Order: sequence, then structure tokens, then C-alpha cells
Amino acid sequence: MRFSEAAGRQVVSTSTAGTVGRVDDFVVDPRRRAVVALSLKRTDGGDTLLWTDIVAFGSDAVTVTSADKIVDAAPAIIALSGKEHRLVGKRVLTAGGDDIGTVDDVEFDADTGAITSLLLAAGDVAGARLVGVGSYAVVVRPK
Amino acid sequence: MRLMRASEIIKRPVVTMRGDDIAQVKDIVYSAHGGAVGGFTLAGRGMFAGPMKLGLTWHAVVALGADAVMISDESALEATSVVFDAAATGRGGGDVLGSQVLTDSGVDLGIVIDVIIAVSETLGGQCDVVGYEIEASVALGTKGTKLLIPLPGTITASAEHLMVPASAKDFVSHDLAGFGAAVTAFRAQLEGAG
Repeated sequence: MRFSEAAGRQVVSTSTAGTVGRVDDFVVDPRRRAVVALSLKRTDGGDTLLWTDIVAFGSDAVTVTSADKIVDAAPAIIALSGKEHRLVGKRVLTAGGDDIGTVDDVEFDADTGAITSLLLAAGDVAGARLVGVGSYAVVVRPK
Repeated sequence: MRLMRASEIIKRPVVTMRGDDIAQVKDIVYSAHGGAVGGFTLAGRGMFAGPMKLGLTWHAVVALGADAVMISDESALEATSVVFDAAATGRGGGDVLGSQVLTDSGVDLGIVIDVIIAVSETLGGQCDVVGYEIEASVALGTKGTKLLIPLPGTITASAEHLMVPASAKDFVSHDLAGFGAAVTAFRAQLEGAG
């Protein structure tokens, strides 16, 4: 699944069947090369849903057991959030110092949260090549 | 081996493997009497623009690419004094620029306008100075044009002149694309002659 498809998706509680939030952004841990949390449009309970608290990332909705899974971001999540850590729209540098384009979109595994590939105009970069995501660039290992 | 002009490296961002740009190249510090790149002095970027007291020795550079100087993390930076000490022998920064290139037979080939360096693709490799871009003199037949001349492995330089073997003028190139082969051929010819 792509970030662009998944953004805006509703978060639904399996206990009440009510919509409890809406996906706004993805928090990625470059070391684990995976989505570790979803940032939601602000709710009363908080704005963060940890990947481990998701029941299923379905094609039409993200399900959670209850609304109280939506919490305020812990410091570890805040450290990986924000513009500096966002993948989409950022330039991509190889570890050799060459610019190979801009991240247009990100493909991830809806079951595990693993980043499977970065989509660039010049071609896809396997998620396993991800090294870092910082203020200036996304760094990837050479092929 | 990849060739680049030293002037292109100035202002190139210094980026950590985490993707943060923590500085940019201010100037190149040469070592081995100007025969190799020993490191860089750095300037801040963005909000922290301006000179920094930190530099980068060549051995702390993971890669010098077309668009960035890659380092592992902030700990790769050192005091600029350390960078200058490590380079020790070099003529400073860009002070070969403007020098006259003379052959050992006493012919003026032109004035240095840029330095051509070769970056080894293997980690821990050298970053050698392999040539100069010069504004050619009358002796090269096309006064005022920009030409690339190859250098021997060891450079002989004084404050005014850079001395090259007379045969260097037989290996001039007009662009970087063919220059790597010219440097290799020139150096092979020198070894053959020696």
C-alpha cells in the first residue's frame, strides 16, 4: 500500500464501530525501515496511534480495539515526527553523495508496517536500502 | 575513479548518514605539497551560516559525491587546526589559482584557474590532485581557451610557478570526460621515460 492511498483513511473502533480518527501522516523509524506509528488528525484523546495498537490496516479503514488507543505521542515518536523526518517530498542521496531524485511516494507492507520501497521518478528504491531520514535528505545505500 | 573540479566542491553540503546537513564546504585543504586533498574547512548552513571553527579531514569523509560530502555523523568533525596539522605540508587552499604553469623546458603553458581532483570509489581511498584547468598561453596554440593539463604523481611548486614535465602538453584535454585517460597515459609515459 502507498502512503498517498492510505492518508486520509478513517480509523474505526471495533468495539463501537464508530470513526475515532483519520490518518494524517506516517511516523517512520529509518533504523527499523518501518512505519512505527500513524499521526492522526487531532482527537480528544491524542494524535498518535502506534503501529502495534492497530488491529488491521485495511483497504477502507484502519481498525483499533477502542478509541483509547489514540494517545499523545511519546518522546520517542516525537523524535521521529515532523517535517525533518518526513520521507515524501525529500531529496534522496546515495551514501556515495549523489542526488538521485525526490521521494514521490512510499510503498509499505500493510501487515507489518515495513517500508518496501521508495518511489522516485528515476525508479523504485528498495526499502531495505534506507539508511537515514534527516532535515536535508533521505540517505540510501548504493545498489 | 571520478574526476571533479575543486571549485565545484565549494559550498557542497556535508551530510550525515542520518540525512542531516550539518555544514558546507568552505575551502579545500591540500596535503602532500598540493598533490592530494587533505580535508576541508567548513562553513555553517542556513540559520547557522558563517565560518565554523570545525573542519573535516579526508579520512573522516565516507564519500565525496556529485551533490554532497557524506560523513558518518557529527563526531567526524574536528577543529580546523587538526585538519591543517594533518595536511601539514600543503600549499594552502586555493593559492595555486593564478600560478603560472611552466614546463621543465621553460615554456609557459598558462595560468591555473581550477584544480582537478580524482576521488577513489573505494572507501578509505585517496583523493588525488591529478591536473589543473588552465587558461592556455600562446605556447598551446589557443591562447585564452580553457584546457586541462595532467600532473605527475609528485608536484613541484614554488610561490610563483608550478613545474610540469614538457610532455604534459601532449596530454591536454578539453573536458573532464577524456581527462582520466589522459592522466593515466601521461603518468604511464613518465614512468616509461624514467
